[in-house]
Amino acid sequence: MFKILTLLLFIFINYSYAEDIEITNWFNQESKEFLEIMNNADVEKHQNYEKYKAFVETNFALKSIAYGLLNEKIIEKNDKETLLRYENTFKAYLTKTIYNLANTSTSGEIILKDIDVKDGVYIINSDISDRTSSVSLYWKVAKIKDSYKILDIIVENTSYFVTKKSEFTKILRKSRGSLDILIKELEKI
Amino acid sequence: MKNLFKVLLLQILLFVPYVSFANSDEIPIESSVSYDEIYDPLEPINRAILDFNFFIDDIAIRPVIKTYKFIAPDPVEKGVSNFFSNLKEPIRVISFVFQGEFMKSVNSVGRFSINTITSLGTFDLASRIGMAENETDIGLTLAKSGVSSGPYIVVPIIGPSNFRDLSGNVVEFLVDPISNSVPNRSYVSIGSGLNSRAELDEEVDQIREVSTDKYEMIKSIYYQNRNSQIEEDFVQNLPTPKIYIE
Repeated sequence: MFKILTLLLFIFINYSYAEDIEITNWFNQESKEFLEIMNNADVEKHQNYEKYKAFVETNFALKSIAYGLLNEKIIEKNDKETLLRYENTFKAYLTKTIYNLANTSTSGEIILKDIDVKDGVYIINSDISDRTSSVSLYWKVAKIKDSYKILDIIVENTSYFVTKKSEFTKILRKSRGSLDILIKELEKI
Repeated sequence: MKNLFKVLLLQILLFVPYVSFANSDEIPIESSVSYDEIYDPLEPINRAILDFNFFIDDIAIRPVIKTYKFIAPDPVEKGVSNFFSNLKEPIRVISFVFQGEFMKSVNSVGRFSINTITSLGTFDLASRIGMAENETDIGLTLAKSGVSSGPYIVVPIIGPSNFRDLSGNVVEFLVDPISNSVPNRSYVSIGSGLNSRAELDEEVDQIREVSTDKYEMIKSIYYQNRNSQIEEDFVQNLPTPKIYIE
């Protein structure tokens, strides 16, 4: 009995350790790529935008974030075509937001501080810094179909998801739950 | 009689009935995110004040800040920022005492003494020798004592606040030993305000560029920042989207 328990514990520890290494490697690789795009001042603006777009498509849980910003009832109320249109518009909006946020500054490095897990979501604590200052940056990441996807970014205690949820909820309230109006508002940006 | 009037006025303000002036065309949409439900009965007035603040910012404050940021080298900006932050240490000392955080209070005394003596507060030597800055204020002290935030308020020129934090600011204005000993304290207040605006310049530009609703964005950011100073495990407790298979 004792041997079985020890074996199970050993397997569990090994599994957790392997997951830790896997997500650490993913984070180091993707944050390095992000910094390269961010600090790449040589290319034309539109080229950099395309790189951000590819980064967002690869690394963000777009459907989860886009749907998470809506109310379940609104998702049920709208047809697949409208939801797909919303997803695509949101993807462009998210890319634009990340582009605006990152492309106005340069940064030296992203330092991984620690990784916590809550309800199956990894909470990665990091610092993004240049020569003069450092900014706290948390990433909420989930493993979806064997790849890691970002669910939220929290910069200096401001969550992208929570902030956008407040904004989108207001637009939907004002428009009596019209997803079309939300899409139009997002297209304006 | 005057005091009785003040007490009554305070009570009326504290217990503003939950009457929402929000647009009646809006439909309630359930949400799992509590940040959507911030108590905001004064929204139409707040929105008007925010528009006014942006107008003033556009015509007067923003050009001054942009010029200042263009002219002043980074070390100068940092020095000015340190100077105003150092002026807040006495308030932090008082706040930490009321929060029962005596070590942090002593740390603030030490920081103020070291930084004032060595550089009039323009260089944060204390941090370099291991005495890190701990942010707090009277509003946070009230929050930690269990006082609820009350309605969200946008203050003309100053910006986002709530009843609790605004009350904290009033108390700070009355008890701040530094500002009270300066001959013309309005210069200090204006300087401090402009410095805070300069520190947030990039964020304000972001709000202008990518927000679908500036008012909601600023309100959400304000509450998240304040809550991060009040709650332990703030990040862990933030709502996370439900996972959909991509």
